[in-house]
Amino acid sequence: MNEPLITVENLNIRFNTDEGKILAVEDVNFEIAPGEVLGLVGESGSGKSVTAKALMQLNAGNTLYEPGSRIWLNTGEGKVDVLAFRKNRELNIVRGGAISMIFQEPMASFAPAITIGDQMVEQLLLHTKLNKKQAKELSVEMLERVGISDAARRFNQYAFEFSGGMRQRAMIAMALSTKPKLLIADEPTTALDVTIQAQVLDLMKDLVSEFHMAILFITHDLSVIAQTADRVAVMYLGRIVETGTVRQVIRTPQHPYTQGLLNALPKLEDLGQPLTPIPGDIPSPLERPSGCVFHTRCPKALSGTCEASAPQVTDLGEGHQGACFLLNSSASPAASETPA
Amino acid sequence: MTSATLNAPAAASDQQRKEAYFTASQGQLIWERFRRNRSAMIAGFILIVMVLMGWFAPFLSPYDPTIAGRNKDYLNGAPQIPMFCDHNGCSLRPFLHTPERTRSAKTNFRWVTTINTEKRRYVQFFVEGWQYSFFAFEWDFPGELLDVRFPGLTFNTHLFGVDQGGIHLFGTESAGKDIFSRTMHAIWTSLAVGTIGVVISFVLALIIGGVSGYFGGLLDSILQMVTDAVRTVPIIPLFMALAAFIPDEWSSETRFFFISIIIGFINWPTLARRVRTHLLTERNQEYVLAAQLCGASSAHIIARHLLPSFTSYIIIDLVISFPYMVLSETALSFIGLGLKDPVNSLGALLQNVTNADVLLNYQWYFIPTIFFILLVLTFVFVGDGLRDAADPYTERKS
Amino acid sequence: MSQPHHISVRNLSVHFNFKQSFFQNIPPVRAVDNISLDIPRGSFFGLVGESGSGKTTLGRAILKAAPITSGSVNYQDDDVHYDLAQLNKTQLKDYRKRAQLIFQDPYAALSPRMTVRDIIAEPLEVMGLTSSREETDARVREIAAKCRLNLEHLRRFPHAFSGGQRQRISIARALVCQPRFVVADESVAALDVSIQADILNLLKSLQQDLDITFLFISHDLSVVAHICDQVAVMYLGSIVETATSKELFAQPRHPYTKALLSAIPSLDPDAPSNHIKLTGEIPSASNIPSGCRFHTRCPNAQERCRQEVPQWRPLGGHHLACHFADEL
Repeated sequence: MNEPLITVENLNIRFNTDEGKILAVEDVNFEIAPGEVLGLVGESGSGKSVTAKALMQLNAGNTLYEPGSRIWLNTGEGKVDVLAFRKNRELNIVRGGAISMIFQEPMASFAPAITIGDQMVEQLLLHTKLNKKQAKELSVEMLERVGISDAARRFNQYAFEFSGGMRQRAMIAMALSTKPKLLIADEPTTALDVTIQAQVLDLMKDLVSEFHMAILFITHDLSVIAQTADRVAVMYLGRIVETGTVRQVIRTPQHPYTQGLLNALPKLEDLGQPLTPIPGDIPSPLERPSGCVFHTRCPKALSGTCEASAPQVTDLGEGHQGACFLLNSSASPAASETPA
Repeated sequence: MTSATLNAPAAASDQQRKEAYFTASQGQLIWERFRRNRSAMIAGFILIVMVLMGWFAPFLSPYDPTIAGRNKDYLNGAPQIPMFCDHNGCSLRPFLHTPERTRSAKTNFRWVTTINTEKRRYVQFFVEGWQYSFFAFEWDFPGELLDVRFPGLTFNTHLFGVDQGGIHLFGTESAGKDIFSRTMHAIWTSLAVGTIGVVISFVLALIIGGVSGYFGGLLDSILQMVTDAVRTVPIIPLFMALAAFIPDEWSSETRFFFISIIIGFINWPTLARRVRTHLLTERNQEYVLAAQLCGASSAHIIARHLLPSFTSYIIIDLVISFPYMVLSETALSFIGLGLKDPVNSLGALLQNVTNADVLLNYQWYFIPTIFFILLVLTFVFVGDGLRDAADPYTERKS
Repeated sequence: MSQPHHISVRNLSVHFNFKQSFFQNIPPVRAVDNISLDIPRGSFFGLVGESGSGKTTLGRAILKAAPITSGSVNYQDDDVHYDLAQLNKTQLKDYRKRAQLIFQDPYAALSPRMTVRDIIAEPLEVMGLTSSREETDARVREIAAKCRLNLEHLRRFPHAFSGGQRQRISIARALVCQPRFVVADESVAALDVSIQADILNLLKSLQQDLDITFLFISHDLSVVAHICDQVAVMYLGSIVETATSKELFAQPRHPYTKALLSAIPSLDPDAPSNHIKLTGEIPSASNIPSGCRFHTRCPNAQERCRQEVPQWRPLGGHHLACHFADEL
């Protein structure tokens, strides 16, 4: 097997706030292989963006990475721990170097008073050895590649002159121009209309095969994941509850949360079926449940077990993993209740 | 089991705490946040102490701050610090040494002050002295009938004093007036000028900014033009013109009110803009539309939704603009256009430090400056703390 | 069943004019352009469209919260009939009791300085629907229970609640005056998936319990498909197709509807991705293309589409505006 590009080990992240220390990410482990698309699915407060930003140390100043948290990046010449970086020179290995990021709201990601082209050239000059002329040529080429017509003219325009979909394309062009090994896409299509979303997703799929980079695709939308990702990690309240290939997770979900999420999703394929919401509300980060974080809403929670301790990750074979007591078939007598 | 029972009271108090948070009104949330801001809390405490010092200035001051209370035997006198020990031993009661003025052939017949360290004068508390009154006011309108007089409550007790001679903690100035007494009174005057100025500019700002922001359109454009026009008026030449206009026979009190009113009229545009901006953003909020869809009238929406939404902002704006009022009063008095010497304002006291003699020989004239800086700083810190605390909702979303 | 239409919209236009400056002539934004639409009594009527299609403006115009430029909106229930263009003050007040709005953003729609009880009670107090505080409280408790809010929630302020709970408060506020007609504008768009289903089920059950007609505005076709009986698809200020949900989602006829449906990503990772590619983006509402307004993005556009505005016509259970829908 290939050496993974990114290995996240025991990632624990806390935020220092007025209300006290808030645990945002707990015991998160995952790997991304080169060229692989990993989907990170979760609702608000699940810590998916915080996890992704940790890969570039982009979280705000009140963030505490607990000791023992490791994010290994395979630079090609060996593994380095991203969380150990302190100096700007080191951080530049990931920021704009090995990793690029695109955001949900591209308007907020472009400086309003600098042309799109200047911003693209500037970051190329910072992160590559290109000279100004080459940087400009590459930028225009990238804009053309992401489907922006009349790229040479568009190059000199400002972000507000672009429409939403165009801005997202320009953002992708900018992120890819430094040829990163990993692209973090944080809800890249959430703010877009469906028809535009389809265009952007198509574009991203094409680019993955062309550039052969890995993508960490963050979204709350399981259908988008189904269409883009190779593997999926489902997060709830800062924990990864289930991982597996897209087909495993969507066709045979094992964790009650994943099952609930899929049942709650309105599907065009079967309109007759009623929607079954997951009972209750997402707890606020201040009231993090004990034990298994999902037990307050879980329809299959075992009283006495689930609120007492957090479940271990169970290997279900072929890379499919879940963190639930119901999955410990050998250890738990409740195995008979496990859904087929 | 046992751990569950042990945890029960803790859980109950936790629940209570949460419930308290859930049912906390915005005022309570602001106070909670403000309380955690240590510098603002300290500043707030100092501010309250200063306001009380100003309010009880007559009680705290051993001498009348006007020329009536001058000590003609101690002109330009250095601060007298009460002490507990001297070469003759210690005493539990603080005491002062006695300054003595002598003139003889030895001194070329000039008055020379020497300190007689053998003669102790003990500081006494709650001594009787000059008369002052609280809550007294007097309005002298044309015509006898319209005169309003309220004698108020008269006292003559003061916090401290000494038997003979004087006690001048901050020294005296050239006329022999006690700088400590003057400073105490000056704090009050400056606060009063600030308050009157803030109230006037606030009323104007609320009306003009409110109308401008709520109705918008052409009215807004016109009002904004007026606001901008007022902002362009250069202040110093205006005040020079006004100083020339003020008749000499005006009493210091009249002059004082006039100055505060002018400051109020000059300062409203900034506040008006803030009110307008806030209204402009707030009136497009969905909850305002929701109220409109209930058929609520404009008056109801303003009173029930818009005003409560910005009272906190307004209070903060007032606190933040307060030091500017004090500053403008001080600046004007400093350049000699505002309050003049018999009135005790911080600006008037600062004006006294502007000559070389003071810098070289009578540095204690600078003591009021410390109070002035402290007053402005506390306002700034309290205002900043309030501003940070004012929006208890923003942070929680992230 | 020949019940009268609850809402009947005829040739409605809502145009927004900007200040005409001396140097440039800014054309008006035609947010809603010549729309006719019938919302039957007791239906759950869906209105879908991308951003900028004018669906929110149409909803607000029906509530008389946006200025009507031309055309008419008629409201009809058992007791009254109103022509919204000609309401006097008392009628407008009465209409406000009968037609209400549920907002998209549960964070912005609740006044942060009022307790939940005061928020829900406000319509009753403003409209003078109750005579005593006890009666108001009783009504508030009744609707709160229907919207599954606990009684102790009523004392709290909105900051104590999560998105889903806030949306339930918002719903309770809209329904407390017992309206006959409710516009739900993107009411689940800001919610998480697991909560969204809960709110949708709540809306559906409230509709049946309280006999309310809903106009459900959304950009999310799968949500609309699940909850609505009838659907109208909007594009750039006009309606391009209406049909019952079953018909529309089983067999879309208008090319825009087809493209919209095929653009929704499937949950099946192996589903063939043969969606119809729409090029470009929705044009500006101040510069609407001539002829069929969809022709700039339509994969089937022909010369006639550029010249001639398509007629609104029935076609096999659907109503649509397309020259070539029968041939496609």
